[in-house]
Amino acid sequence: MSTAPVKRTSIPNVAAESRAAFAAWVDAHPDGRHFGQVLIRPESSGGYRLCHAEDEGATGLQLYENPRAAREIAKLTGDGEYRPLKSAPNLRRGWALLAADAGDLVTAMNGLYPSAVVHWYLYREGSLDITNYRENAARQSGIYKRVQRLTDQGVQNAAKACCEDAVCLKKTLWDVDEEIPLEMNRGEGEIPCPEPCSVFVSFARRVRLFERENKRDLDAIGLSPSEKEDLSALVEAAATGEVVMAREAEFEKPLNERRMRYRRLTLIPKLRPPVANE
Amino acid sequence: MKALVIVGHGSHLNEDSSLPVYEHAERIRQTGEYDEVVECFWKEEPSMRHVLDMVESDDVYVVPAFISEGYFTQQVIPRELGLAGPITHKGDKTIRYAGPLGTYEGMADVILERTDDLMRGKETSGRTALVLLGHGTDLNKNSSGVIYWNAGRIRERGVYDLVEVGFLDQEPEIGEVVTSVEAENVILIPVFIAEGWHTRETIPEDLGLSGEVTEREDRTIFYGAPVGPHPSMAALISARAREMEEKFVHGAR
Ligand code: SF4
Repeated sequence: MSTAPVKRTSIPNVAAESRAAFAAWVDAHPDGRHFGQVLIRPESSGGYRLCHAEDEGATGLQLYENPRAAREIAKLTGDGEYRPLKSAPNLRRGWALLAADAGDLVTAMNGLYPSAVVHWYLYREGSLDITNYRENAARQSGIYKRVQRLTDQGVQNAAKACCEDAVCLKKTLWDVDEEIPLEMNRGEGEIPCPEPCSVFVSFARRVRLFERENKRDLDAIGLSPSEKEDLSALVEAAATGEVVMAREAEFEKPLNERRMRYRRLTLIPKLRPPVANE
Repeated sequence: MKALVIVGHGSHLNEDSSLPVYEHAERIRQTGEYDEVVECFWKEEPSMRHVLDMVESDDVYVVPAFISEGYFTQQVIPRELGLAGPITHKGDKTIRYAGPLGTYEGMADVILERTDDLMRGKETSGRTALVLLGHGTDLNKNSSGVIYWNAGRIRERGVYDLVEVGFLDQEPEIGEVVTSVEAENVILIPVFIAEGWHTRETIPEDLGLSGEVTEREDRTIFYGAPVGPHPSMAALISARAREMEEKFVHGAR
């Protein structure tokens, strides 16, 4: 790598290339393109109109013209909950955003789905760098260092619980490592996921804590303390007639959706062992 | 083209954590000093891992929105951004990495501005102490060092009868300082980067504060907002980047 300050301004970089490619991809479809939960339609004026895909044709949408408003739109769910993962399928409805040109379009997209446009572009070009779980985990330090010890099966279950389209619309491209592919359904969306995200790493840490507990603390019928805690919390909540779920990345709380998805994979087989002979 | 990348901690749970970074970025964007101003985070998107791909400029200045030198500024940020030191070359990009904000010249001024905001229109009589509140931790001496350093700078200016420090997680413990400092007026300013659980809940609760002004038998405690979200921090972030530029671009190579 040269350290001389050579300016190669004639060669655009990936950020600039992805902006042009994304705009061209949208322009090629006058009826609009779907990206995540967003519908993007090229306007005859040369600009773009964005809205929630389910608001196609809806009237009375709140109109925004500043592309940076996209980040505010993406911040909270329709119920006012904070969205730590912008690719979760809980983008709120009721808005439309006008982007004046390709630059504003990408600014808006980066507010709705940060770094998705450049990853979309690199993936199409075949040059998106993929970082597998083990490589990502090796980098972790501090309270996340323990994710290095998560078993292969733990990674598989964590990915199924945390990354499938029901909870994240990105297409999961990374694997456990070079030899062990993920078994999950990777998803059909346009947005590639090249590396475990920070929400996943935090979830992986929680799953690792479950794994550790399994080894030494099982009771007579094979349940771990945290499994019993989750079952109790579930029964107590359901008995009130209303199960209030924990927030999206609140993995320490029993009634977290991803935590429950993990329990479905690991606890249900214990509670309802598969019947032999089919 | 020239870009400023502001790195924040971010949060999976608290939407306020990243707000100061976004607000400061927007303020700096308005000045037109940079062609691009981009935010990235440890716990939010865009992540540090991917932000450089989103930047079109070749000259990139990275400023961490952190108070003190430590685990994040020395380990996590360089690792996640792939930085080799103060200057890193990546393809056509030259990335210059600035130090954290708390150790910078102008920090004491921002703290004093925060204090002025709090005290505007409030009458006091008797001695007044300014107490800087830091997180503190046993693991990292720099975390408290930066609080002591700023207290020293402010003390030199002689604006307050006393300038003290107190911490959440180490000695001197903040509750003790607020109770024992010899002054009738105690101004408490959290030297934190964002509003959050500590500034909103644990601190007022532990110290028995009833809002901005709390009357105790022998003293009045004035509790200010954290320093990080103050609008002047935007200028501090720009100045931090400009310092890198002067040092490495215009200065002798
Ligand atoms: S790691 Fe999983 S949850 Fe995180 S962005 Fe990728 S697919 Fe989504």
